[in-house]
Amino acid sequence: MLPAEDILTFDFLSEGGITFTALFADPVTDKELLGTLVVRPLLHYCGEKSAKAVGERLASPELRSFKDLKELANEVLTGNPVLLWDGMDEALVVGTKKVFVRAVMEPPTGVTVKGPREGFIEDIKINTSMVRRRLKTGELKIKFLKAGRRSKTFIAVCYLEGTANEEVVRGIEKRIEGIDIDVIPDSSYLSDFLCSRPHALIKQVGTTEKPDVFAAKLAEGRVGVLVDGSPIALTLPYLFMEDLQAGEDYFVPPVRATLTRILRLLAMLAAMYLPAFYVAAQLFKLQLFPVKLLLTIAGSIKDIPLSPSLEMLLVLLMLEVLNEASIRMPKYVGMALSVVGALVLGETAVRAGFFSTPAIIIVAFSAIGLYAVPDLIEVTSVVRLFLLLAAGSLGTYGIVLATAFLLLELVTTENYGVPLMAPFSPMLPRDMKDGVVKFGLRSLKTRPAVLKSPNKRRMK
Amino acid sequence: MTHRIAPRQLLFFLACLAPLGKLILMPAQLAAETKNDLWLSALLSLAVETLAVFAAVLLAKKGLSLFELLRRSLGRAAAYVGCLLLVLFFLFAAYIPLFEQKLMVQSVFYDTLPSDLLFAPFFLLSLYLCVKPLGCYGRIFDILGPLAAVAFFFLMIFSVGETDFMALAPVGVTGTKVLTGSLHTTAWFFDGALVLAMLGKIDYQKGLAWKSALAYAVGGAAVLLFLAVFYGIFQDIAPVQFFAFSKTAKYFPAINLLGRIDYLFIYAMALAMVFSSLLPLISAAELLRESFGESKLKSLIYSLVLNGAIAALSSVFSFAFPAAERLITRTLFWVFPLFDVLLPLALLPLRAREGRRI
Repeated sequence: MLPAEDILTFDFLSEGGITFTALFADPVTDKELLGTLVVRPLLHYCGEKSAKAVGERLASPELRSFKDLKELANEVLTGNPVLLWDGMDEALVVGTKKVFVRAVMEPPTGVTVKGPREGFIEDIKINTSMVRRRLKTGELKIKFLKAGRRSKTFIAVCYLEGTANEEVVRGIEKRIEGIDIDVIPDSSYLSDFLCSRPHALIKQVGTTEKPDVFAAKLAEGRVGVLVDGSPIALTLPYLFMEDLQAGEDYFVPPVRATLTRILRLLAMLAAMYLPAFYVAAQLFKLQLFPVKLLLTIAGSIKDIPLSPSLEMLLVLLMLEVLNEASIRMPKYVGMALSVVGALVLGETAVRAGFFSTPAIIIVAFSAIGLYAVPDLIEVTSVVRLFLLLAAGSLGTYGIVLATAFLLLELVTTENYGVPLMAPFSPMLPRDMKDGVVKFGLRSLKTRPAVLKSPNKRRMK
Repeated sequence: MTHRIAPRQLLFFLACLAPLGKLILMPAQLAAETKNDLWLSALLSLAVETLAVFAAVLLAKKGLSLFELLRRSLGRAAAYVGCLLLVLFFLFAAYIPLFEQKLMVQSVFYDTLPSDLLFAPFFLLSLYLCVKPLGCYGRIFDILGPLAAVAFFFLMIFSVGETDFMALAPVGVTGTKVLTGSLHTTAWFFDGALVLAMLGKIDYQKGLAWKSALAYAVGGAAVLLFLAVFYGIFQDIAPVQFFAFSKTAKYFPAINLLGRIDYLFIYAMALAMVFSSLLPLISAAELLRESFGESKLKSLIYSLVLNGAIAALSSVFSFAFPAAERLITRTLFWVFPLFDVLLPLALLPLRAREGRRI
């Protein structure tokens, strides 16, 4: 009795009189490959009944023998058929998994004008092959682990031996081996287990969809983690600075890269702080506005029935709803939604006197500014709200206190012994060559000291 | 996380953060007492304080915490007594910086006088900060040190154009008032004692004591420059110009056009001041941890006790700050050099004997 309707058997008799049975999971097994690699060679088999002899006859490069029934069942469910026959000593597992993959495309979160356009996909083998294609060295170690009681998800821990800190590698492997969860559908599940403070708001695990960035991070001494079924790779240890760096920074002149990084940082800070300062200035400290601007703002808010903080909160809330809806909606509806959103928010709400024009402008700028550093958006959008609440209740002093709290959290967070805010805190002048200011490639002769790589020099 | 303070972080603290507390009420206080010679009084205090800092950093050479140093030299009972006395001193010393902070916030951050309840989050933050080990703050110094320095630089750039440095002349006309002015401002000079609380967390390197003294002198020079600018701008009305650092730049011509852009730098300094004004309390919590253990629960209890005490003190003297300040600066001014200057100097020979007594 087979356990499920999609688990099938195929029996065939060889010329030597041995009856073979191939047990396979129909949806995930490549039956054509099964016929070519297993059935066809064995139809004329007249040799011994040992697994070794049968295996030698098969033309498969991916062949393993097992005795344990549980392992055999796992292999069948993964898509690798199990070959059984009368009088066998061990069962054989043949790698004929059917692979469903989408094409390798440019990832939506890592679009570049200059530089490689390949992105990871959902298949771990293709992803590891993309990494190996970039790092053609025996030092590249890819260790496969499994996690998830039911999903049995493959996880590849990738690192450069002699470059990555062994303690970090061991720490990551230990944490993955310690995971006891039924299903791991995506790498984001795993990142929760790999960070030291899972309840913290602050991001602690680096992510990338680009194999070139992934390989570069491995070369810096980081450890990468690929998860089967997820196009998003994880890199550890993570530094806050990483998200201000874009892959393209390394393909343009250093001056341009520096300017872009400063712009990103300023845009992110302005996007987080501007709504809060606007509210605090209106409520508690009008002197923050220049006189002419104050008069303009006073003119536009005089008929607004809501308090500045409530007004800003509602506009932000509407923006978040619009954002959430436009991501989930089908593209053709999304266009219509954008028009409705722009009209409702930009025109009607202002004309109706619900919201003031400056509030809309500030929220619009804030929304754009946050996307200057897209990888941090989950954090920065929450911080923006947190600062707005602090500003609405305590004014500018609230912003200062909230910043103090945030700062303390940032500088005290570390993962695998690596401080999140390095190279600024602790200050590591040598690592700052690839900080906000980007030095030329020839100046980046050493790997980041904060990663404690045993191989410090990367260029002579 | 390693709770250590790197040499560079200590230098940032001494050069950039320690001077901040001296820019709020002290300039007006000094101007009232010594007029155009205010910088001479400050110079005297800074010279003595530099010595205190030098002695305190020299004690870090052995890598022992204050409690450990006292225990190994004088025994456990003396260590408990010494640390508890220093904890009480920090509670006493925290009063002026915290009240200054409150008055500054009321003046600088609000157009109208806010309710005292607005300061509740400040105590919540203080409660949280006191739970964290003092070593954590090394990393804060890395960020806030340069931030405060940049903010101070721009405030000075904005202010210097409006300064009449001739107002500082003639030098030395106030005579002995220079000395009394210095004595009456000891409440703003206890950085050597703060370094004592950092003992055992500082990664001592050769020559750090000299570098620390130099860094403190650099910070001191910034304070002197500020005092000169402050008096050069306000002159005869300087004694009533409290929260000085927030006022000197407001006459910068571009402000009419751009609004109070100086507030950006004032807020940056205020952010650094949040930490510097809380350092006495954080240091007291650290000493309690060293003396009586550092489990999470105990840390929380120390923090609650210390913050409760200072909050109670603040509310009792809420309307009597001028009187309390007068009592501290005029009558009890000697307490500060006792713990800040004499204690590190007295501990120096103990450090030499400590090896034999272990």
